[in-house]
Amino acid sequence: MSNFTIPVGPLHVALEEPMYFRLDVQGETIAHVDIHAGHVHRGIEYLVTKRNVFQNVVLTERVCSLCSNSHPQAYAMAIERIAGIVVPPRAQYLRAVADEVKRVASHLFNVAILAHLVGFDALFMHVMEVRERMQDVKESVFGNRMDIGANAIGGVRYDIDAQGIGYLNQQLDAIDAEVVEIIDLYRTNGSILGRTRGIGVLPHADAVDCGVVGPVARAAGIDYDLRVKAPYTAYDRLDVTVHTLPDGDVWSRAMIRLYEARTAIGLIRQCLRDLPDGPTIDSRERPSIPAGEAIARCEAPRGELIYYVRMGDSPKPERVKWRVPSFMNWDALRIMLKEAKIADIAIIVNSIDPCISCTER
Amino acid sequence: MNILKLFYRNLTQGPSTVAFPFGPAWTPPKLRGRIRFDLPACTGCRACEQVCAPGAIRFDKTPEGLRFMMWHNSCVFCGLCNFYCPTDAIVQSDDWHLAHPTARMYEMAIRELIPYTACSACGTKTLASAPNPVGVEPPFSAEEIEQFRHLCPGCRKKALEERTPNHAPTE
Ligand code: SF4
Ligand code: SF4
Repeated sequence: MSNFTIPVGPLHVALEEPMYFRLDVQGETIAHVDIHAGHVHRGIEYLVTKRNVFQNVVLTERVCSLCSNSHPQAYAMAIERIAGIVVPPRAQYLRAVADEVKRVASHLFNVAILAHLVGFDALFMHVMEVRERMQDVKESVFGNRMDIGANAIGGVRYDIDAQGIGYLNQQLDAIDAEVVEIIDLYRTNGSILGRTRGIGVLPHADAVDCGVVGPVARAAGIDYDLRVKAPYTAYDRLDVTVHTLPDGDVWSRAMIRLYEARTAIGLIRQCLRDLPDGPTIDSRERPSIPAGEAIARCEAPRGELIYYVRMGDSPKPERVKWRVPSFMNWDALRIMLKEAKIADIAIIVNSIDPCISCTER
Repeated sequence: MNILKLFYRNLTQGPSTVAFPFGPAWTPPKLRGRIRFDLPACTGCRACEQVCAPGAIRFDKTPEGLRFMMWHNSCVFCGLCNFYCPTDAIVQSDDWHLAHPTARMYEMAIRELIPYTACSACGTKTLASAPNPVGVEPPFSAEEIEQFRHLCPGCRKKALEERTPNHAPTE
């Protein structure tokens, strides 16, 4: 058997995101993996220091499209902590709704791409069609399909009336019924199982070593979800189920995402049921932000997202730094890809739901 | 569920896509689309300019007054200007039909001017902008807005104190 070194990426037909892997292969099997980063660096951390506190709510939302609600939310929480702003209860619930709406759409997207990579495009299109309902929700309730613009410093920028709640519940019922069927399909379909069971395994001990987060961690048996461990917004008043699976393979990660999509739907229902009355923002006037620093964390669809903000005397932040979930997760690819077959590379890479645009910002 | 059942369902339900551009595309009423600007309602506070992340909004002082410029092609439809505008002078409509030939690039903008006027009370040169409604109780009537428009900042303050005598801070 001959040895080769092959490049996969940064532009590659099977990769959804621009990552560059240098693989040493022996025949069909990967012997060694090198991961090179930096292909979509846009200098956003620098740009953030060139814009004022309010403009950055919009800029941070554009760091990543699929976690686009988590970034401004963590950023706003950090600013609120610095300024001592208390977010009204209704806004806390509405923030949780926005978070979970994005989570459903993000998880379904990743699971759909898995079907596409397996070569099961009929299933891919079906899952995307179900996700499209959530896109309609975003467009109807928030006004945009991706950058939903839910957050502002001190609260949220949107509100739901009785009619909106009715519409949302009706859409959730439809999506939930479909997700139940999709779960069944992913659990039993031979094509899916054959390409995902026992593939790209991340054993529990390695998962702990790499410090992986989000569905990647929970699929390796790590019971860690920030919504439970360190509740923010309304999560301390909501009943969050954390799903874990023991095997740490591609299939487990997909199933965790599907289970979490259902949990997210349940959380939105809880929020809509318990939604308190009152204002949706601390003040419509732009608050003045004193000097200071703060850290805020939230559970993005891909895992724990951490924001650090330092304000000086100027209205522009002195430093904003974020630690994104994909940064923790992509290191684990070295372990998942080891001894894997070349044909499984794309499936394994997709299984961590990599977001290079926020990792390299 | 069996995938064949899914195929059958899709076959009987027909396509999920719309025929756009040959048919209408569904647009939810809350869609955050093209910016609209209502000059008479603008107070010239420039909050919209300050929160606009891509710099799509710009105010310039000219000899004639305060010029407002908004470039649709720079706008990212975030809606912050709309959110922080005290009078809804700047709003987002549900119009998303912004595709245009490059030749029409420079028409994709809103250009307005808040002109200078002479204060009707003291004669000072001042901007004929709408008065700031924040904290004003009861809210301005349409006639009052027109009356305040022709007052300079100092005379506006005086007129506001006379309007609501108990509005002034009491020690
Ligand atoms: S919607 Fe956002 S980007 Fe567009 S003009 Fe308003 S503030 Fe600027
Ligand atoms: S009144 Fe509204 S449109 Fe006019 S400057 Fe202020 S924020 Fe902008």
